[in-house]
Amino acid sequence: MRKKILLLVLLLILCFFAGILLGSVPLSPWNVLRCLAGYDKESTAYVLIHTVRLPRAAGACLAGTGLATAGVLLQYVMNNSLASPNTIGVNSGAGFAVMLALLLGNGQVSFIPAAAFLGALATSLAIFGVAYMADSSRTTIILAGITVSSFLNAGINTIKILDTDISVNLTSFMIGSLSGITYEDIKAPGAAILAALLTTLLLTRSVNVLGLGDDIARSLGMHVPAVRLVILILASILAGCVVSYAGLLSFVGLVVPHICRRLFGNDARYLLPCSALLGASFVLTCDMLGRVLFAPFELPAGVLMSFIGGPFFLYLLLKKKGGRRVNA
Amino acid sequence: MLEFCNISASCGTTPILNNISVCFKKGEVTAVIGPNGCGKTTLLQCLNGSSKVTSGAILLEKTDYLAMPLKERARRVSFLPQVRTMIPSLPVKTLVEHGRFPHLGFARKKSETDIAIVNDAMQFTCVDAYAEQYADTLSGGIRQRAFFAMTLAQDCDYIVLDEPATYLDLKGQRELAEMILQLKNQGKTVILVLHDLGQALKISDTVVIMQDRKIAATATPKECMQQHIIEDIFDVRLKEFSDDEGHYYFFY
Repeated sequence: MRKKILLLVLLLILCFFAGILLGSVPLSPWNVLRCLAGYDKESTAYVLIHTVRLPRAAGACLAGTGLATAGVLLQYVMNNSLASPNTIGVNSGAGFAVMLALLLGNGQVSFIPAAAFLGALATSLAIFGVAYMADSSRTTIILAGITVSSFLNAGINTIKILDTDISVNLTSFMIGSLSGITYEDIKAPGAAILAALLTTLLLTRSVNVLGLGDDIARSLGMHVPAVRLVILILASILAGCVVSYAGLLSFVGLVVPHICRRLFGNDARYLLPCSALLGASFVLTCDMLGRVLFAPFELPAGVLMSFIGGPFFLYLLLKKKGGRRVNA
Repeated sequence: MLEFCNISASCGTTPILNNISVCFKKGEVTAVIGPNGCGKTTLLQCLNGSSKVTSGAILLEKTDYLAMPLKERARRVSFLPQVRTMIPSLPVKTLVEHGRFPHLGFARKKSETDIAIVNDAMQFTCVDAYAEQYADTLSGGIRQRAFFAMTLAQDCDYIVLDEPATYLDLKGQRELAEMILQLKNQGKTVILVLHDLGQALKISDTVVIMQDRKIAATATPKECMQQHIIEDIFDVRLKEFSDDEGHYYFFY
């Protein structure tokens, strides 16, 4: 297991480096290394790397980590392998809150991450409430999620159309994009994501016990509602903060946990860190491909994710009957 | 001694039990029997919090059980629920290790004692051969043993089992009975729900019979036989046989 985690770390470093190296302006690896190490401060490459590519790669990293971890957490909390920030509407909740904040805040941007978190938390609590009151079957949760998602997306569209002053590109926001990210954009949400991630990694054993079902978790002396609320809050911080600067990136939160379940098993002690690492690599790669494939045109990372994530998800749905490590 | 004093309890928001009092003696095996839907599970679930106690008290060796912190409770009384809502995709060993959860501090570091207890529990229930296999790939019987091992790994003096025989075949049920008697010999108190009346009479020291969400009788197996309690409640006829291997009960 240690070896696998080490490999994931190497993969992440590789993707991170590729994310900085590749783009519309060609750079040589040596050049990039020198600039990263702090040499050639006068060159255009240095400016390009430190003002454009590095913050963008960091943003992609945090986005992947946040969404993948949030996905794993939601899957445990809802005892549902189809849960993810996207499928149960948590992302849309955050997105709607961001739009609302932009509408009411007169261009003030400092509280946007907080608004996104509140929107995400409100949505996840609502979905969980619905699931709990109905029969909490897998289908109910997902159906409730789809309904809430499309309702909130309608809200996002309405706000954007009615208030043309909002400085958000609706297409890239709805699909999720990392272009034009600055350090200023990711400072606050990034710190929150890292803090939530660390807290999550301290709670892996509780997450595991929650995965055994409520009755057994209670029998083992766990305060189930409290743990569940804490995990929902963590997942909302993670997903909400990502949405606040990257928009509604889909599929990371669903696809990455599933790949990790297959590769590393269902033990949250390994599943959570592995998903965090692989999620970061996945988003970095998608963002990099989006920049490189049709240069000088740029596809938003979200488009690439849907292209890769969509078919993969279908594959999982078909494969599931025979598969085994997918039932948590 | 584990005493239920005037307990009223509800499942969700539906009230099930009203003013029930019953007492489980220390060091004994007590079987709770009764027709389906008579409130056995609701009664025992008061111990793990899955059913909600609306009034009354539970005394564990004279101290207020319901006032204890949840972890403390799980260190004193272990509870194996009846229904498996989730079959986790975890190796059996990891599953059994979860039994140590109430004993671990925030660091969740396993000590050598924890590891030894987990290994003992797996050996005791004969699942040590499956330690590395995933629980969801195993048969129902082995799974049930793995969950039983998890409950034993809690290392409590009081062990409560809600229909532990459900997923077991005949051989498995016989081995379960042997395990329960061994636990009793180790000084444990075992409380279990059984549907096999013959089994219940055979292994228990006291039988608690429930009917229509009330305690209909509390008696030793011998008293049950002499006073025709079971025959009246279950509407069956009961015959006892014995040979040099022990007692057997037949119902017809």
